[in-house]
Amino acid sequence: MRQSPFLSVATITTVAVALTLMAIFGAFVGNLQEMARRWSRDVQVVIYLDQPPGQKTLRTWLDHIERQPEVERVTFVSQPEAFNRFRQRLGDDADLLAGMTPDILPASLEIRLQEDFRNRQGVATLANTLRSNPAFADMRHGQDWLERFESVIRLLRASSVVLGGVLLFASLFVVANTIRLTLYARRDEIEVMALVGATPFFIRVPFVLEGIMQGVIGGGVALTSSYLLYRAALSQDMAVWLRATGLEQLLFLSPSAQVLIVVGGGALGLAGSLIAVFRLGRA
Amino acid sequence: MIQVFNLSKSYARDSAAITDITFKIAKGDFVYLTGPSGAGKSTLLKLLYCAEQPSRGQMLINGLNLTRISPGRIARFRRVLGVVFQDFKLLNSRSVYENVAFPLEIQGRRSVEIRQKVYQTLKVVGLEHRLNRLPLELSGGEQQRVAIARALVVDPLVLLADEPTGNLDPEKSEQIIELFRGANARGSTVLLATHDREIIRRHPRRVLTLEGGRLVDDRSP
Repeated sequence: MRQSPFLSVATITTVAVALTLMAIFGAFVGNLQEMARRWSRDVQVVIYLDQPPGQKTLRTWLDHIERQPEVERVTFVSQPEAFNRFRQRLGDDADLLAGMTPDILPASLEIRLQEDFRNRQGVATLANTLRSNPAFADMRHGQDWLERFESVIRLLRASSVVLGGVLLFASLFVVANTIRLTLYARRDEIEVMALVGATPFFIRVPFVLEGIMQGVIGGGVALTSSYLLYRAALSQDMAVWLRATGLEQLLFLSPSAQVLIVVGGGALGLAGSLIAVFRLGRA
Repeated sequence: MIQVFNLSKSYARDSAAITDITFKIAKGDFVYLTGPSGAGKSTLLKLLYCAEQPSRGQMLINGLNLTRISPGRIARFRRVLGVVFQDFKLLNSRSVYENVAFPLEIQGRRSVEIRQKVYQTLKVVGLEHRLNRLPLELSGGEQQRVAIARALVVDPLVLLADEPTGNLDPEKSEQIIELFRGANARGSTVLLATHDREIIRRHPRRVLTLEGGRLVDDRSP
């Protein structure tokens, strides 16, 4: 690196910029997925009951429902509880309920699903099982909402793969060309090495090792700068935005993703230098 | 040691740099390669150190057929060869010591051996007091001697030199020729390309003369 410090700094900077973009993008997707995970808690099946069941029947139903593998928790909401909730939800307009009794609203069973089953398939499986009980005829599970929700998640995942791939390819292209410039700047040295008996392997290895080292340093710089950006984002007044999205706090990259950024830097340097040295070999 | 049979090299359809050259040089010989500029001296040397591939013909050095040699074997072959280039080809970012040590490092020699060998060789060319200097801090003659030291440090079987005295005054040219005579006395076969007739007159040896890419004369004193 002491032979061509300017180009070494250029390579490290290129890797750092590319990986910082990928780290920010990764953190963004991670937060969106966390947001989606939190939203998916609202996925539940509600059974409205024509008649409030007796204690014994209710116990039987609750036991049966709780035994289903898709179910995390089932809650019986009695008519008075439903009425109270409705009153609270009306707030200042609760007067509208004056003169009405709780029996205007049906009792219900609210079923919350295990995280793995908070999807269209999980809800449909549970609904099919429960439909065998004629008392559970009026079942709501927001199928339309679920379909839209799953479409958004699919789109998000597909976009992250496509955008990540494009970023990775662009980074590789830039890194390979920057390392090629390094090789071009040192072509005299390479020529002399070859003329005094260096094998192609002996000539290439230092450049590849240098590429890996520059990549790892670039990855480290990317991790540091993306963490500083994350801290800067936290120091801004983001509480309002976070509450609106359902996130309690903005997440940084997971430890494994942090390692991946540094290792990815090394891999980028390795791939870039390999492309560059083999092109040099052909030239 | 060096055998060349019907060797030709063309860069384009109608421009032959070397045409149908045949000669042999025995082990331990000192031979001049002469001729006017553009006669093909540098091209012939480039073919012999495998920087170029011949268009036709065969060439063997120390029994190794250079026309059928793989890139990996070219590297190993060059390790028994000392080449002094017309433009020196020194690494200007490295010191005199590092330039001369370079071929030994490539061969994977031990650092103690490298130190001893480099110091001895720099002493032979009279530059042992300049080992930490960069090439561009030296005169043309001194740079030439560094290039010669780099070629000699590997104790080459064959020493090829392309105009090693070009642009040097007669006194410095004489010093350079003495270095080649010394290497030859230590066992290296020397092929020295020069167009300086005065050197050949003062140190008569076998002379191969090229003109227009052809070998027109092969004369021993």
